[in-house]
Amino acid sequence: MIPIALAELRMLVRNRLVLFCAVLIPLAFGAFLILNDTGTGGAGAIATLQITIMIAMGVYVSGTTTLAARRQTLMLKRMRSGAISDGAILTGLVVPLVVVSVIQIALVLSILSFTAGAPANAVLLIIAVLLTEVMFVGFALATAGVTNSPEHAQVTTLPLFFATIAIAFWVMTTGTAELTWVKRLLPGGGIAELIGAAWNGGASVDLLALLLPSVVWVIAAMYFARTMFKWEPRA
Amino acid sequence: MTRTQQNTVPDAAGAATAGTIVEVTDLAYNYGAHGEFAAVKGLNLQVRRGELYALLGTNGAGKTTTLETIEGHRSPTSGTVTVFGATPTDRRSIRPRIGIMLQETGYAADLTAIETLQLVGAISGRNDDAERVLAKINLSDKRDTRVSQLSGGQRRRLDFGSAIWGTPELLFLDEPTTGLDPMARDSLWDVVAQLRQAGTTIILTTHYLEEAEKYADRIGLMHNGILAREGTLDELVDGHPSRISFVAPANAALPLPAEVNATGRSVVETTQLQQDLTALLLWAQAGGHTLEHLTATSSSLDDVFRTLTHTDTL
Repeated sequence: MIPIALAELRMLVRNRLVLFCAVLIPLAFGAFLILNDTGTGGAGAIATLQITIMIAMGVYVSGTTTLAARRQTLMLKRMRSGAISDGAILTGLVVPLVVVSVIQIALVLSILSFTAGAPANAVLLIIAVLLTEVMFVGFALATAGVTNSPEHAQVTTLPLFFATIAIAFWVMTTGTAELTWVKRLLPGGGIAELIGAAWNGGASVDLLALLLPSVVWVIAAMYFARTMFKWEPRA
Repeated sequence: MTRTQQNTVPDAAGAATAGTIVEVTDLAYNYGAHGEFAAVKGLNLQVRRGELYALLGTNGAGKTTTLETIEGHRSPTSGTVTVFGATPTDRRSIRPRIGIMLQETGYAADLTAIETLQLVGAISGRNDDAERVLAKINLSDKRDTRVSQLSGGQRRRLDFGSAIWGTPELLFLDEPTTGLDPMARDSLWDVVAQLRQAGTTIILTTHYLEEAEKYADRIGLMHNGILAREGTLDELVDGHPSRISFVAPANAALPLPAEVNATGRSVVETTQLQQDLTALLLWAQAGGHTLEHLTATSSSLDDVFRTLTHTDTL
C-alpha cells in the first residue's frame, strides 16, 4: 500500500490541475466561508459546510477522477498483476487524498477555532470528520464504477456532490427540530447534524441518534463501492 | 532447441505431474451478463517447468482470456487452473513467483521510468535493483523521463522490465514484441534467453509466428475458443506439404503434378521436398529448361495456421 500511496502523492504534486482541484480549491472554499460568515447557524454551521465541501471536493470528486483515470490507463490492471491485495491497492490510491483532506480541514478548523472559539467536543468532531472521509471514499469508489474517464467524472460526481452539500446546508440553516429523521437519513444529513452538535455542544445530545444514521451511510457507501466498482474498462 | 526437464521443487499440494507447473483442465470462460459468449471452451493444457510454451491463435480465439485466467486476473466460468499447484487467484502465494507482461501498457503518465519500475517492483513480492533492470531493457538513458514522454516501443520495454523484475520463476509474455523495432526485439529475446538459462518457464502469446518457430519448445494453436493443435514445431508441421514454386517453361511437360497460381507460377506441393526438387532440377538440366524464380519452401507454422483457420478444423 505504501509504495502506491507515495507514487500517488508524487503524481498529485506533479499534476498541476489535480493539485489545484484537490488542494487549493477546497482550501479556498474553506477560507471563503470564514471570511463571509453571515452569522446564520454560527461557527457550527461554518464548520459543517467547510468539512462537507472540502471532503466532497478533495476526496469524492478527486478520488472519482483519480480512480477513473487509473482504470482508463489500465494502471489498476497493472497493479493487480502484483502480489498485493485489491484492498491494499485501493487504500494506497485514496490515502493521499484523505491525508491531504484531513490536513486541510485541520488547518481551516484551527483558523475557525481562533476566530469563533474552539469546538465543544473535539473528539466527537474528529469522529465526524473521519466518518465523512470514509463515506465519501465509498461514494468515490462507487461513482468511479460508472465513470468511463476522468473527464466523465466531472459529470458523474455532480449529483451526489451537490446533494450532500445542499442537505448539509439545509440541516444547518433549518436545524433538526422538524423533519428530524428525514434530515438525518438523507446522505450527509446525519453527519452534518453530528458535526454541528460536536462544534456547538449545548443541550444534551443523543449521540446514538446522531451516530447511527452516519454509520449507516458509511456502510451503505461501502456496499455501493463493493458492488459498483470496476477494475477494468470492459469488466 | 533442447528442453530441459528439472526436478520439481515442492509446490503447494496438488501439483499433479512432476515438472508441470501450469495445469489447465476443461477451462471454460464466458463473457456477458448471462454468459452468452463463450470465449474459451473446454481447454486443456499443461506447461512444464523450464519450457517456453507459445500459445498462438487467430484474433478472438481466446488466447488473452486463457492467459489472463492462468495469470489469476480472472476466475474460470468452469474448469480448473493451477499454477505451482495452487489457485492462481491466490495472489499472495503465487504472484511473487510470476512475472506478467500484459498485452497493453498500464502506467501513470506522470511517473518516470525508474519510479514506475520501483513501484511495480515494490508490489511484485520480489526484490531487484531498478537500475539493473533499466540497463537490461536498454532504458538507462530514459531513467528520469516521464512515461508520457516515452515512445510506444519504450513503454513496451518498460512493460517487459516490470515483468522480469526479480527474475520470476514463471513469466507470462502477452505479445511482447508488438511495437518494438527489430533491434529492440532482438534485445528482448536475448534477455529471454538469459532468463531461460536461469530456469524461468515462459508462456508466450504472439502474432509473429517466426518467433514461436524460433523460440518455443511447444506450441498450442487456439481457434474458436479451443486448443485445436498442440505439439513441438516438428509435430505440428509433420504431414503439411512443402512447396516448390517456379515459372514453368512454355509448352514443357513437367515431371511432377503442379498447379498454376494467380501470378502464373507453377506450384508443386510435396512431402518429399529434396527428392522432388532433385527430380525437377535433373529434368530441367536434361531438357535445357530454365526454371525462373525457383523457390523451395519447407512446410511452416504459417501453413499449419492457415490450414487451421481456413478449414475450421477441430
